[in-house]
Amino acid sequence: MAFRTEINMTKRSLQALTLATVGCAVLFSSQGTAQGSDGGAKFAAPKRIKAGEAFLGEGRLYPSPVVHDVDRDKLPDIVIGDLFGKVTHARRKASQPTVVLGTEESMKDRSGVLLKFHNW
Amino acid sequence: MGSQFVDFNGDGHLDYLTATFDGSPHIAYGSEAGFGKPERLKDANGERILIASYWDYDKKAHLTTGRALDTDNPPSERCISALAFDWDADGDYDLLLGSYENGHLYRQMNEGSNAAPKFTGKNIPVMAGDAAFALPAKMTAPRLVDWDGDGDLDLIAGSFGDSYSQNGKGGAVYLSRNRGSKDKPAFAPLETLIPPSPKGQSEPTRPDAGLYADAFDYDGDGDLDLVVGGYSMWTPKGRVLTDEEKATVASLRKKQSKVQKEQSGLMRKISAEATEATLGIDRKSKEFRTKWSAVYSKYRDQTSAFYKRTSAFTNQIQKLVPGPQRKSFVWLYERL
Repeated sequence: MAFRTEINMTKRSLQALTLATVGCAVLFSSQGTAQGSDGGAKFAAPKRIKAGEAFLGEGRLYPSPVVHDVDRDKLPDIVIGDLFGKVTHARRKASQPTVVLGTEESMKDRSGVLLKFHNW
Repeated sequence: MGSQFVDFNGDGHLDYLTATFDGSPHIAYGSEAGFGKPERLKDANGERILIASYWDYDKKAHLTTGRALDTDNPPSERCISALAFDWDADGDYDLLLGSYENGHLYRQMNEGSNAAPKFTGKNIPVMAGDAAFALPAKMTAPRLVDWDGDGDLDLIAGSFGDSYSQNGKGGAVYLSRNRGSKDKPAFAPLETLIPPSPKGQSEPTRPDAGLYADAFDYDGDGDLDLVVGGYSMWTPKGRVLTDEEKATVASLRKKQSKVQKEQSGLMRKISAEATEATLGIDRKSKEFRTKWSAVYSKYRDQTSAFYKRTSAFTNQIQKLVPGPQRKSFVWLYERL
């Protein structure tokens, strides 16, 4: 199946990522003009989101983000799942004047084990 | 793996609901101390909730069943996304199940309560207008969000598009507005929020394939933005090569082509041997898989060696002529 091929390719090409332990996140802007509309909504050119010094979700197998206040500090964080079933999150450190996310971290369950959903 | 944080069992703690490529929804129940270990959701009969195709952990095989669609001829549709949604407004969460292959959406009703759910085990297609909800180019995951601010939940969903070819049409994000009532949702035909990627860029400019989207007021300016994960696919611009460098590239490509022909020959030999070794054996059986794998394992060192040689040529060529790149990121589409 397509995903099985994807897994084999990814295993051969995985690279180690070095993440800053503490850092400010800035949004990396790409040039371009607004695109897409549903008759009412227009968007600015998309920008890659940074978490710490790295790009959020970089190199993950089909990263799927969801916004959620993980640490209950009333600031929206971002949780990233992937095809392997691995879950990470990047906590929001600030919202003004720009959104700042901390370094991406693995999510754990209440017994301290990495949170991972079963795949095939 | 689209995710939803929702108090699924109604105990006051948010739970983590998702579905994986094994074909079923999973949940990690929340508590004051954090999330428990993920477990698969089951219906009232104690069976795995699914659409049709699933990974059987005992048989170690991808199988298909028609029990949830009430058919003896089930489609090859695998549930890879799930959402909790009180479809009939009776106070308990029902399930929306998204299929990968045809981009369909199904609802499975809960005839119990949040604390003691009794899912029927039967899937009912969700409509978008007069046609079945169907995302083109395969669906990643849907999301429930009040996109138009009219007080009910609409659906947004991403598509995969061609996730491998640098030229094939890419993924997109779509909207289906809820035009129904609180206890009778009625989703409208799809509208495009982010059009399919045409690809062909020389640097990452957007998610091109495998678009997973969430809608949220990211910058706090009062409107919904989109946070989208996915693969960017691009080919960097190369520089002008000298005549000597052009000759080097041509020579490397010729050598690589020779090795690739030898590699193809080996692969044909292995395939023929595996076919002979498994002649007459049920392809879905463990015996078939064991014998097939044994043949390929026998030649693993040789196939690895060929892979290393062709990769080495690719690396040398790409120092002079950049090759196609593919990497995943998460993007912000800020609403204007």
